[in-house]
Amino acid sequence: MHPLISDKRKLASTILVWLLLGVLTAKFMVLANLAVWETALQFSLPVVVVFGFIACSAFYVCTALPINKRRVIPTIIVFLFASVFAGGTWLALCLCWSSLASTMGWWSIQLSEHTNTLLFSAGFCCYLISLLLHDVLIAGDNVRKAELNAAKSSIVAREAELQMLRAQINPHFLFNSLNSISALTTIDGAAARAMTISLAQFFRQSLALSTQETIPLNQEIALCTSFLEVEKTRFGSKLQHEFSIEEIAQTVLIPPMLLQPLIENAIKHGIRDLSDGGVIKVEVFTRDKWLHIAIRNPCEHTPSNAIGNGLGLTNIKQRLINIYANQARIRWDKTSSDFVVEITLPLHYEAQPLEATS
Amino acid sequence: MNVIIIDDELLARRLTREYLSHHADINIIGECENGLQAVTAIAELNPDLVFLDIHMPKMSGLEVLDVTGRKSGVIFTTAYDEYALKAFELHAVDYLLKPFSQERFDAALNQARHLLSLGQQLTSAQSNKIDQLIRHQQIDRIAIRDRGQMHFIAIEKIDYIEAQDDYIMIHSEGKSILKTQALSDIETQLDPQKFIRIHRSYVINLAQLNRIERVTKDSVLAILNSGKQLPISRSGYERLKPLFNNSTAH
Repeated sequence: MHPLISDKRKLASTILVWLLLGVLTAKFMVLANLAVWETALQFSLPVVVVFGFIACSAFYVCTALPINKRRVIPTIIVFLFASVFAGGTWLALCLCWSSLASTMGWWSIQLSEHTNTLLFSAGFCCYLISLLLHDVLIAGDNVRKAELNAAKSSIVAREAELQMLRAQINPHFLFNSLNSISALTTIDGAAARAMTISLAQFFRQSLALSTQETIPLNQEIALCTSFLEVEKTRFGSKLQHEFSIEEIAQTVLIPPMLLQPLIENAIKHGIRDLSDGGVIKVEVFTRDKWLHIAIRNPCEHTPSNAIGNGLGLTNIKQRLINIYANQARIRWDKTSSDFVVEITLPLHYEAQPLEATS
Repeated sequence: MNVIIIDDELLARRLTREYLSHHADINIIGECENGLQAVTAIAELNPDLVFLDIHMPKMSGLEVLDVTGRKSGVIFTTAYDEYALKAFELHAVDYLLKPFSQERFDAALNQARHLLSLGQQLTSAQSNKIDQLIRHQQIDRIAIRDRGQMHFIAIEKIDYIEAQDDYIMIHSEGKSILKTQALSDIETQLDPQKFIRIHRSYVINLAQLNRIERVTKDSVLAILNSGKQLPISRSGYERLKPLFNNSTAH
């Protein structure tokens, strides 16, 4: 259905425009001494409104030839042909109306060869203009649709990202933790309870954080601490950590679940492989307009057998590109004894002042 | 029955120990916290039954079995691993999912006892299952035990692998190392996009292939980046050809 006709308000304003055009036509007729005002209006208004509906058919001509699939010459031929046809229809309409009026004795206008040519040309031009206007209208509509689609797909992408974040809560971690709790129940009931609570706390934090777009760094650090608490019950004294966070960096905004997977990697691909374990070192500081994060852990030299090695890092890299485009940087490096991940992000602070923090 | 427990988590080993304490006939002769210890322990102690975690530091549970050649008297334990679980189901190998109950544990233990009591005949069926389980795992490194030393070769560092009777000779970074395995077995463990069997006796790493040269009408050679020349058989050439269709080699 034509967009102007299907909508009542649009239809009303469109008819108004046609009526104005009708008045304009009458004015020309008066100026050309063809008729007096009253007769000219009686002649022009009905035919212009009827022709208005005919001009709307340009919409179907335009949609039949989608803009992105058009070739120049066939389009010109179709447009010209349609306009000639419309001009002819318009002329016929005018002639029929005026002859009907004069037969009925309402009013009469003398239409000469000359005026007929003028009427035809006017109809031809109007239809051509209508075609071009419809093209503009449709193009504008397409742009709006494309924008809407882009907005929709960005929502879908964000949903997908959150899904991914939730899925990142490693089932391996969960089941191993439950197994540790199961073992602790007979060995040390209090420790079993403590581990249950740390595990619950970690999950609660990660669920809360993953629904947000950005979080202050200290919340992410708290999440990492809960995670490490659970892992320390599993790995005992093998696993140690040292966090060194610059005070001013505490409230810097970062995407949620950025560091926790890196800590998890440091355990899975680093500390776990070492008989004597080791220390995970996290260092965060700001320089100029940048936040620098470095996560360092000792690791084995031999090629790792852990499944999915490196995939997590590539995911994080992709995430940073999605969020910061080329403003963020992540690099990782494995030496013979250490693995280091370094992240640089643009410095953003929370809009509201420090009152909220306690 | 002599048992060793292999798991890198102390609490997980304690739990298995606790569950085993309800069985008077079980004698725990060792505990290992990584794959390397496990290889040594299995080789030296030759236990009747092994509780083996799949995910372990240094070496995975399957690598341990591959290297030690142990094909029966194994109960796998794992928390979660999509790939391993699929493989277990596929080859009907029993496993314990952490956390498991005493009842489930006892059932697995009784099953293992039953298989052991049947002796040679039925354990060979079991050993086939485990053998296939190992052979169907895609690997990204090869583990080899040579005179008590473990060696690991990253797959991408391999130049080519050569069949020698019941062994394979793995050539990598100018060194060669022998492993007891059939060439066709290792072939199934390698990514077919990256490794091609060019001859009855040779599998090459495509990344190391420099060019192909036709010497006579019936003889074609593969020249590796190291300069090594290897013969290409007729069927090997058929396998290589699709890769060169778009290039200039004719």
